[in-house]
Amino acid sequence: MTLRYVLSKLIKNPTAVIGLVLLLGFIILAVGAPQFAPVPENSRDPFMIPRDGFRSEPQGPSEDHIMGTTEGQYDIWYGVVWGSRTAFRIGIVITLFTTLIGVLIGSISAYFGGWIDEVLMRITEIFQAFPFLLTAITLTSVLQAVYGRGDQGFTIWTAKILAFLTFGHSLFEDINPIQLSIITGMIAIIIFGWMTIARVTRGNILAVKNFEYALAARTIGARDSRILFRHLLPNAIFPVLVIASMNIGSYVLTFAALSFLGLGAQVGYADWGQMISFARNWISSLADYSHIIMYPGTVILLFVLSWNLVGDALRDILDPRLRGSN
Amino acid sequence: MINYIIRRLLIMPILLIGITILIFGMLSLLTPYERAALYVTDIPKRQGAIEEIIEKYGLDDPIHIQYWNWMVGAKDPDTGEIKGGVLRGNLGWSKVGKSTVVEVIGRRLPASAELALWSAPPLIGLAIWMGIRAAVNQNKFVDQILRILAIAGWSVPTFVFGLLLLLYFYSDLGWFAPGRLSIGMNEIVQSDAFVNYTNMHTIDAILNLRFDVFVEAVKHLVLPVVTLSVVSWAFLLRITRTSMLDTLRQDYITTARSKGLQERKVVRRHAVPNALIPVITVGGLTLISLFNGVVITETIFNIHGMGSFLAQAATALDVVSVLGVTLFSSTVLVVGNLVVDVLYGIVDPRIRLD
Repeated sequence: MTLRYVLSKLIKNPTAVIGLVLLLGFIILAVGAPQFAPVPENSRDPFMIPRDGFRSEPQGPSEDHIMGTTEGQYDIWYGVVWGSRTAFRIGIVITLFTTLIGVLIGSISAYFGGWIDEVLMRITEIFQAFPFLLTAITLTSVLQAVYGRGDQGFTIWTAKILAFLTFGHSLFEDINPIQLSIITGMIAIIIFGWMTIARVTRGNILAVKNFEYALAARTIGARDSRILFRHLLPNAIFPVLVIASMNIGSYVLTFAALSFLGLGAQVGYADWGQMISFARNWISSLADYSHIIMYPGTVILLFVLSWNLVGDALRDILDPRLRGSN
Repeated sequence: MINYIIRRLLIMPILLIGITILIFGMLSLLTPYERAALYVTDIPKRQGAIEEIIEKYGLDDPIHIQYWNWMVGAKDPDTGEIKGGVLRGNLGWSKVGKSTVVEVIGRRLPASAELALWSAPPLIGLAIWMGIRAAVNQNKFVDQILRILAIAGWSVPTFVFGLLLLLYFYSDLGWFAPGRLSIGMNEIVQSDAFVNYTNMHTIDAILNLRFDVFVEAVKHLVLPVVTLSVVSWAFLLRITRTSMLDTLRQDYITTARSKGLQERKVVRRHAVPNALIPVITVGGLTLISLFNGVVITETIFNIHGMGSFLAQAATALDVVSVLGVTLFSSTVLVVGNLVVDVLYGIVDPRIRLD
């Protein structure tokens, strides 16, 4: 079960290859964003989509705006290109934290067992009892109410750490409101997004817990933490990490839904969900302005699709029950 | 069997208490001023009124006392009247809905329930049927097509899919309109001659024998139902396929085949009933994804249900409403999941034994 084994299986799977190619495309788009969509000279923040006037009616594709403009004359191409950076940043940071929390809780639960396991698993179940998007919406609006007050207590440090990781924002300055509203959405997704990873980790640790090498380590008097982190985790964690990394797509999807509802990224920020939310005001004339939904919609679909294509294949490869078949 | 059901029943209160603790945790992040909406409908515009209310209902008491008050209600020291209290069915005052949260939920629930009711049966039937077809034809053309459809189905964001449907079938072709009913039909439904038994228009229309209203209501439901179903459909299809593949590899299937049974009978009589057992467990997950989908679907299609209310309240930062709706929906979910679990125990004897 090495990386090489997984990769060799992966490139034999045609749908996974399509996914990998798409992902590569998105990485190129994100890395080369300043080349594909140059930042205007007077821009203060490259993630704010430049506007061409203030008319409300969307304009179709033209020479200046190859994908047209959306309501308020925001350039769609610019938003699509820089939105890929937003998607990667948000997706990666959320995945980092959910995986960290999930692996920690799952492995402690499995290794110690007994009442610790019982308590941790009940807590996991409680978090899972909520409908995910509903609570993400709820917590986002709670956090926005809290942060909106200005008097910032301990919660602001969570936000600052996330802002540092996501935007490279200094830990000692105040976060600007645009970034803060993105952070609230991310925190909400992290807090209600770690449970599956915890359960998978727990299952995998349980499977290796009673192998001879673990027993051997215990007989020579190794400490719990050493057995867990040096012996068990490295053997059980690999499939978990691979599958967890594929969650990026679904986290980005959830965040886009928040933005679409007006809770995540603010108007004008290069975020796909936020761009699509303009379409809500043009429902009856959507046929005339199809570009305002088609371009950002296709991009977000392809992004999520590419992660799911690779993830689906990986799950098959890593699932011990399916291994060896075919 | 009885043991199994009792065990499930015992877990339920733990889950419900956990849910209330989490919701209260979020409430306690708010200021006492914002939490006042849990007990009073309005804060009088005079000096000191806020402080009075905070004092009266102990909104700055230690957290466990506040939790207790929130659960069972707080006594108004002047009138002796008990205000608030989740267990008394009191979730506070909704600023966005301009009435109590419970009233808003009561008003908004039928539209959402109707949507879910029309979505669930067709989507479950279709997904299971397709999942079986895919598994029986593993790695053949049908399987590949369904695989791609399913992955596309759960990759497409609900809001993009819903808007695309509106683009073609409303804006372009003019077949289906957003909303629940057209204005003319709405007048009929509001009139005295039309009795609203359930406030679900399709069911009321049948009970009132108004088939024009029924057709109209169904026409308005087509697009939202399709939008809401897509994600769960894709998910269920994949689960059914995996479970069916597992079953087809069992020895007793080989036995059935080797005694010369027709393949059709092997699949229908021997494989499908067993393959469907694990599918029941994800019934709860389907329910969850319907709850999630309702928020986006109702927002796009301008349906005044619980989901669109949640979205509205959330953007207006009306946190008391938002938390009330979340508490209500997660309670429904926990009970729904319990039903699913008990069903699972009844269908699958293996579960009962351990």
